[in-house]
Amino acid sequence: MEPLRELAKEKLKDKKVIAIMSAKGGVGKSVISALISLSLPSDVTLIDLDIHTMAIAKLFGVENVPLEVSKEGIEPVKIRNVNLISLAGIVRDRYVILPGRNQSNVMKELIAYSSIKGKYVVFDLPPGLGDEILVLEELSDFKPIVVTTPSKVSLKVVKYLLDYLNERKKKALVVVNMSYFTCNDQRVNLFGNYNGDVNLPIDPNLEDYIGKIQEYEGEVKKVIEKELIPQFM
Amino acid sequence: MHEWSIAYSVVKTLTENFNKKISKVTLVIPLFSFLDIEILKEAFNELKKENPIVENAELEVKIQEPTFRCRNCNREFKFSDIQQQVGEVKNSYGEEYPLHLMPELLPAFIKCPYCGSHDIEAIGQEIYIEKVEEYGAVERVS
Ligand SMILES: [Zn+2]
Repeated sequence: MEPLRELAKEKLKDKKVIAIMSAKGGVGKSVISALISLSLPSDVTLIDLDIHTMAIAKLFGVENVPLEVSKEGIEPVKIRNVNLISLAGIVRDRYVILPGRNQSNVMKELIAYSSIKGKYVVFDLPPGLGDEILVLEELSDFKPIVVTTPSKVSLKVVKYLLDYLNERKKKALVVVNMSYFTCNDQRVNLFGNYNGDVNLPIDPNLEDYIGKIQEYEGEVKKVIEKELIPQFM
Repeated sequence: MHEWSIAYSVVKTLTENFNKKISKVTLVIPLFSFLDIEILKEAFNELKKENPIVENAELEVKIQEPTFRCRNCNREFKFSDIQQQVGEVKNSYGEEYPLHLMPELLPAFIKCPYCGSHDIEAIGQEIYIEKVEEYGAVERVS
């Protein structure tokens, strides 16, 4: 019996668990994880499992803030309604290279040892089909949100991920990032036509908010609040 | 610092999986987690009061020294071979160093002492319940 697995399960019990996934990297998954968390109506714990980039901490500008520890475990960094747990707060300014099997153990350990707050838990998963999804399936009944861009390459690989989720009887919401650009009130599909459950616009200003994503109130966030959040409430 | 979490998870695992009173439980923990056994036992003794299944259970803790295998050069090594590396990690981070918070991160912080690869497999670094003894019967689980 693995007490850590039981503990991780226990920590996710009675929570609404949302897993943000993508088939390939570079589709804006971390930005969307951050914006979804910021758009939720109450407190949320955002757990960055993309250990190789640790992008979430960078987006919020807290990559050098060490995590504190209490009797409840590793304490998240609180930014607005978001309680952020990231390995960046543990290893700080250092690379993390981990053999595959260790990654899923690290994930279980991170959940088991963290102080998880609020009603929602959002996971930013690493891209692709890996151990992380299998482990998350063992631990909770999560809601998958699959992020892609309209590019042909991205759509081709996203199909595998959706096939897998279908086989596991999990209904994923597909979010198409960088889907269109509004020019003179007209939608221009720059990278191709693909309709997901939610299509997000391109907002060139978003770049300026890296390091302070909590202050972003632009177009992408508005669409997330209006079209995405109600779909899994 | 995770002693309370672990004690809680052991109590929880036992109460969910057993329905006869337990006299003793053996927990195996890895050496480099640097858990304080006294605190762990204290926490267990405090938490066990909440459920009659475990209220008389004694906690035995076994410390396991993990062994390592490098998947690059295939050599095996022991904790003593990397103790200096762990010491250096400890020194560079101070009190809240990552291996205390997350022992599973070990392969990210150490290199194979022979070839320098990080592709290291650790055997015996999990925390697990090795044995549970019930009153009137002995049952093995692992
Ligand atoms: Zn080697």
